[in-house]
Amino acid sequence: MNLVDWLFVVFSILTLGGGVLMIFSRHPVTAAMYMIVSMLGVAALFVLLDAFFLAVLQVLVYAGAVMVLFLFIIMLLDVGPQGGKAARLTWLPGLAGVLATFLLGLLLLSFIPDATAGSGSWPALPESTYVNGQNLTFSTAVSAFGYGLFTKYMLPLQVAGFMLLAAMVGVIILSKKHNLQS
Amino acid sequence: MINLSLTLLFLPLLSAAVTLFFLRNNGRVASLLSVFTAGGILALSLILIYNTEDVPLAWDMTWFKMGGWELKFGFLLDAPARLLLFVVAFVGFLIHVFSLGYMADDSARSRYFGGLSIFMFSMLGITLADNLIMIFVFWELVGFSSYLLIAHYFTTDEAAQASKKAFIVNRVGDFGFLIGIVLTYWIFGTVNLSELADLADFDPKLTSTLLCLALACGFIGKSAQFPLHVWLPDAMAGPTPVSALIHAATMVAAGVYLLLRIDFLFTEQALTFIAFLGAVMGLYAGFCALVQRDIKKILAYSTLSQLGYMAAAFGLGMPGIALFHLMTHAFFKALMFLGSGSVIHACHHEQDIFNYGGLRKKMPVTALTFLIGVLAISGVNFLSGYFSKDAILLGAYNFNMPVFILLYLGALLTSIYMFRLYFITFEGSPRSHHAEEAHENNRLMTGPLVILAVLSVLGGYHTLYPGSLLQYCLPDIDMVALLPHHMWMIVLGTSAWIFGLIFARSFYGKVEQTDPLSDRLPVFYQLCRSKLFFDEIYQFYVSKIQDPLARFIEVMELLFVSGLMVRGSAGISALFALLAKSCYVGKIHSYSFWFIVGTLGFLAYAVGLLAL
Amino acid sequence: MELITPQHFLILASLLFAIGFLGVLIRRNVLLMLMSLELMLNGVNIALVAFSRSGTNLDGSIFVFFIMTVAAAEVAVGLALLVALFKKRDSVFSEDMRLLRN
Repeated sequence: MNLVDWLFVVFSILTLGGGVLMIFSRHPVTAAMYMIVSMLGVAALFVLLDAFFLAVLQVLVYAGAVMVLFLFIIMLLDVGPQGGKAARLTWLPGLAGVLATFLLGLLLLSFIPDATAGSGSWPALPESTYVNGQNLTFSTAVSAFGYGLFTKYMLPLQVAGFMLLAAMVGVIILSKKHNLQS
Repeated sequence: MINLSLTLLFLPLLSAAVTLFFLRNNGRVASLLSVFTAGGILALSLILIYNTEDVPLAWDMTWFKMGGWELKFGFLLDAPARLLLFVVAFVGFLIHVFSLGYMADDSARSRYFGGLSIFMFSMLGITLADNLIMIFVFWELVGFSSYLLIAHYFTTDEAAQASKKAFIVNRVGDFGFLIGIVLTYWIFGTVNLSELADLADFDPKLTSTLLCLALACGFIGKSAQFPLHVWLPDAMAGPTPVSALIHAATMVAAGVYLLLRIDFLFTEQALTFIAFLGAVMGLYAGFCALVQRDIKKILAYSTLSQLGYMAAAFGLGMPGIALFHLMTHAFFKALMFLGSGSVIHACHHEQDIFNYGGLRKKMPVTALTFLIGVLAISGVNFLSGYFSKDAILLGAYNFNMPVFILLYLGALLTSIYMFRLYFITFEGSPRSHHAEEAHENNRLMTGPLVILAVLSVLGGYHTLYPGSLLQYCLPDIDMVALLPHHMWMIVLGTSAWIFGLIFARSFYGKVEQTDPLSDRLPVFYQLCRSKLFFDEIYQFYVSKIQDPLARFIEVMELLFVSGLMVRGSAGISALFALLAKSCYVGKIHSYSFWFIVGTLGFLAYAVGLLAL
Repeated sequence: MELITPQHFLILASLLFAIGFLGVLIRRNVLLMLMSLELMLNGVNIALVAFSRSGTNLDGSIFVFFIMTVAAAEVAVGLALLVALFKKRDSVFSEDMRLLRN
């Protein structure tokens, strides 16, 4: 176990722990805080995987924008801690949920090939070429993303742009007060 | 020609439709329309017969198509069809005219005349049809119109029962006929009559006795032959002109006509079978007719007997003579039925001959024409019946002795019961109030009687017929004329009717309200009255064997088809619906839970954990 | 990394996804359900990046990029809907949102 292995253990505990605490916390604000922890853990894991650009995006978009949005809405709606009846987990959905999660985890794990089977190694990062035959080469450079997005993924990029526009228009219309009451 | 024949066929249907839609409450107009239609049919038929003398009319068009199978709608107006067309149109017209008088004070005249028009339509269809399926369609239509007309007085229990009986018994025969048609199509690949004739001629081995018997089932049902004869006497519950037209002159003869149309299919065994069937029927019906009291039932059994003669003639290989007898029989039997109608009308619907008596003085025209009919059917020399019936007897004498003996006994009986009928009805003194007050009917009714009487006298002289109307019969008539023992047969035939006349005169000359036969030979009388228990046997069969079977099948049907399959499948889908409904709870958690269960199942299948 | 293999990352991703799913199932606060959804998406992201890295192929990473875009839009619209719903029903609990059933 070298340092990086230890770092993986630490960050995965951070990620999973944040997630578990998030779903079991009573107060929405606490939940949001735990979620930020979890997000940051994920960002750190991205760094371990040499995906620096995505790690930055993770922090900016998730831990930054999305979580701020959540907190903003919590504040707006003034949702307090769930107390009394509302907070209690009813046993049937809870049991069903746990069961389903267990089954899901089992199934997902069954997908994962055996660690000792030989595929469990990290290939060396190639030289900074963008393409390798038909494929885009994995690269730490941000320019590799730019190249991929504007060549192979040109159309999805445009569609994503349109989707964001549509989401923006949708949110504006949903938020219009008189429109809701009519 | 084609347009003419189409007009001919659909004219009565049009008349029936107009009657149905516009004239239901206007009996007078409906009856006139129907009579004019019948007149139109007669005129068109004569034109058609005259124009197709040299070349038979053969025409068809596609009626409908199913895959490679094609049903044609076509006409085949050859020699036998021409003769039957003439008989149907001519006798039909006379009976329509007679009906005008007979039904004058009936409250449901339009229904009656509409039914007559439908009958004319279907009968013309049988006559003209050029393939078996088309014949079958019109065959059923004839059965339907017969049902309609028997049930004219549907308020009486007797008529309602009789119409159902006629319809159901006919179905039994028609079922065999249908099987025969299917067999024919299977073996020959066609149902067209001309093509069938060519094929059967080309390879005589194709046909079989079984096929013939199946097709003959149609004849047995429609012509009321043994063992399906039980419906015809009961069918007399209908109005008398209907009995004359349908149950004596034309429809029942259609069975014989069907045999003629497919005679090329018949094997030796099948022909012999038909001959014996007809001969036995001729004798059996004679015994039944001997003891009946109802004037129409006597005539009905007489019809059965004469149809037996036709079948025997066909079975002996003389189809031409069968058709010849069909025609002469149509004349004198229609005459006698109309005569009986005249009597019944005059006596206020009294039908028991022992309540008549002495009608000759009160109804001279009816009595005279009826006597001519009696003489003709008994085979009195040089009347129409003499020629056709003695031709059959002579043929039987030469070809098949047992059949001859049966037929000759039948002929003896025929003259006895016919003279019995005449003497009891028209001679002696009136035995009831109605008979005393009877008087001759108007011209509308006596006119057809006179015309038919003339034809009954002259109908046997084949040289009198214009053109080639008897083209189909002539070869057989010539053949019979050349047979040996001709003089011997004249002696036998003459002695038969003279014996019948003397016997009936001495036995039934002076009767009171009871049948003299029941006093002198009670056992024989009762045996004949019972008609050999056919109705009872059928009754027993239906109530003791068929009904339990039907109930058993009904229970099975309720249990399996209706219960298990219909309700069962509905129940299964309802069960699924119930299950699906229980998932619909309105909770988003529940939905996402089921969603993930589905996804998991899919995933498991994709991985191969859930091998299907 | 010596002992840590891509398989470990995949196990981690599976667990994160399962935790997120459990959150969706047991929480009745729609806000927290949305947050759990984000957690599930993050699990997927980790798996994708691990594949991308071990296969030296950038496609997986670009997918993650798009997922983030979609997630951001989804959160924006989802929260706007939640606000609209809250205005109408004065509640953020899923059991109060059952117009279809009752």
